[in-house]
Amino acid sequence: MASAIRRFPIDKESLEAGDKRAFDKLVQAVELLPALYLKQKNPKYPGANLYPPDASREEIESAGKKNPALLDPYTIVERSRAGDLVAVPYREKFTKELTEIAKLLKEAAAFTSDKTLKAYLVSRAKDLLGNNLDESNALWLQTANAKIGFVIGPFDRFLDRHFHKKRAYSAWLGILNEEQTSHMRNFAKAMLTSERRYLPGAKLAKAAEVRVRVEETALMAGLDADFEFVSNNLPSSADTKLIKKSGTMSTVFLPVVRWKFSSYIKPVYESVFAETLEAGYSDQEIELGLLRMSVLDELRRSLARYDDAVSRLSEVFAYMDEVYGDISTIKSAAYLYLKGVLQERELEAILVAEVCQALAYVGTSAKKSEYASLAKGYIALLDFLLNGGALQKTAKGFSFDMKRALIAVDHLEGVFDNYVALGTREETKAFFEGLDTGEVLEKFAPAFQSFPQEKKD
Amino acid sequence: MKNLEKFFNQTEDLAQTPDFIFFMRTSILPITLIMEENKFYLTKEGLEKVEKERQRLIEFKKLKTRGEAPSIWHSEDVNPEYLAFQEDMSLLDARIAEHTHILKNAELIKPPRKEERRAIQLGATVKLKIEGEIDEFTIVGTMEANPSLKKISNDSPIGKALLGAKVGDTVVAKASLANHHCQILNIRYDL
Repeated sequence: MASAIRRFPIDKESLEAGDKRAFDKLVQAVELLPALYLKQKNPKYPGANLYPPDASREEIESAGKKNPALLDPYTIVERSRAGDLVAVPYREKFTKELTEIAKLLKEAAAFTSDKTLKAYLVSRAKDLLGNNLDESNALWLQTANAKIGFVIGPFDRFLDRHFHKKRAYSAWLGILNEEQTSHMRNFAKAMLTSERRYLPGAKLAKAAEVRVRVEETALMAGLDADFEFVSNNLPSSADTKLIKKSGTMSTVFLPVVRWKFSSYIKPVYESVFAETLEAGYSDQEIELGLLRMSVLDELRRSLARYDDAVSRLSEVFAYMDEVYGDISTIKSAAYLYLKGVLQERELEAILVAEVCQALAYVGTSAKKSEYASLAKGYIALLDFLLNGGALQKTAKGFSFDMKRALIAVDHLEGVFDNYVALGTREETKAFFEGLDTGEVLEKFAPAFQSFPQEKKD
Repeated sequence: MKNLEKFFNQTEDLAQTPDFIFFMRTSILPITLIMEENKFYLTKEGLEKVEKERQRLIEFKKLKTRGEAPSIWHSEDVNPEYLAFQEDMSLLDARIAEHTHILKNAELIKPPRKEERRAIQLGATVKLKIEGEIDEFTIVGTMEANPSLKKISNDSPIGKALLGAKVGDTVVAKASLANHHCQILNIRYDL
């Protein structure tokens, strides 16, 4: 269900008086975001409204060599009267909206007693009207234990299907769920005890620290709302300097986990697996599997950042980034199972949640062209599962061989690891073009019928 | 139950030992299963924690029954406070019995003799290579297992596979869904 803003019921009683007033100001700030995001979005064109619709990738790339501002993450590219491509910084293009938002952030900062949040809001207000968000991003990472969780700014790059460079606006506001955060931090620690090995020659951007928080989200707007992400990991994968210096933080949006489960995961499960899986997983098991998967996914992606991946792979990075996190998650989950952290059924629930999520993204991409990049990665996962014998069509749905699924996932993880760490854009693109997308879409077509109907923004 | 919850959540020195509290509050072994277990492998530290917690529970019960017992002359039907008190006492008794059972059936994990230290036994800290990653953890009994603190159970698939192995060996951690090859890189005993 497309929407540039999503609202969830929230209980503010745990907030002190000052924070309640700050919270209300931040609600107003988030509510200003959709108008901004919708000016960037345009699913008709691969460049959205970030580039002129008649500008080809080649033209932009060629012009960008003489004028690097054209490929800057924070500029809109337009045509001058003479027909040349010119770069307009976001701060100029969206001055009115950004000024209003910045004012609200400063007002919120005045109310909150949380020093980390205060410093971050003041800095973000300044950065929104500046050249980048570097200073306020670093301060945001210090808010890991703040009661209020708040992000606003241009981060993810999925709207830019030309180069995966330009950032789209997003915002979220929530309250820390202390119990779940503590639980998931413990869970995360069990995963983080091992040290990953990396391919020789890979330019690893090692995160200084990896943080996680779980929030009761009140509002979500912009790209994160539109793409229905259950979690987010910042700084962006392109901000490797900051990642190396200050680390990352993942935010899990509990209401979105619940909503996504009931709107997509559960219908897919009932359509595809309910009659074929003897074990029969309860709603709680699969929803918890989705939550655990989200936490592990964000952490695994934090650990697989490379200095040159985004620039080397360009738009094909978007095909892999999300699903690479998911399949690394499954590999981690299998290891946690062997260490006794997860029971067998819990591992299975994570696998079921992942496959249902993959089907959900692929199924929705037929109606949402902006999901096209994401869907490619999930098609690769489904392709490997089908060809590895992990998923087989039956009269009642699909059978699911979990052991084969783990083998297939392991195989795909090796492939993606190679491309993300060292691969070229051309060879990675060739891999995706070689997948039998048609077979995947045809086999799972019935599962896609069970999704919510599209709503217009 | 609110008083009991508060009691179990207190940040005393025991809460400084998150591994123990982690287990006792989120145990995968319900009380009934703990009572069926014959042997509990514990380090000296773990044993002391169980004893300390048992004493704490006994003291707390004394406190509850000395000064705070609600009136019992009303019938159960009209005295929910009495019912709640009974519930709290039952839970406390169960926890005390559980700790007593553990202490009676505890086996201390001791560092092996020098000549036996080449092989992995309970209490060993093992560094290994597994599926492209390097990991290190200590093998303990199930009660003290806390993978977030690098303590894994001897009963986990990896724990079982590692027992008896030596440096240089490659063992297979087997479970019904997955098998992982583990190469032993180093063994030490820090007990």
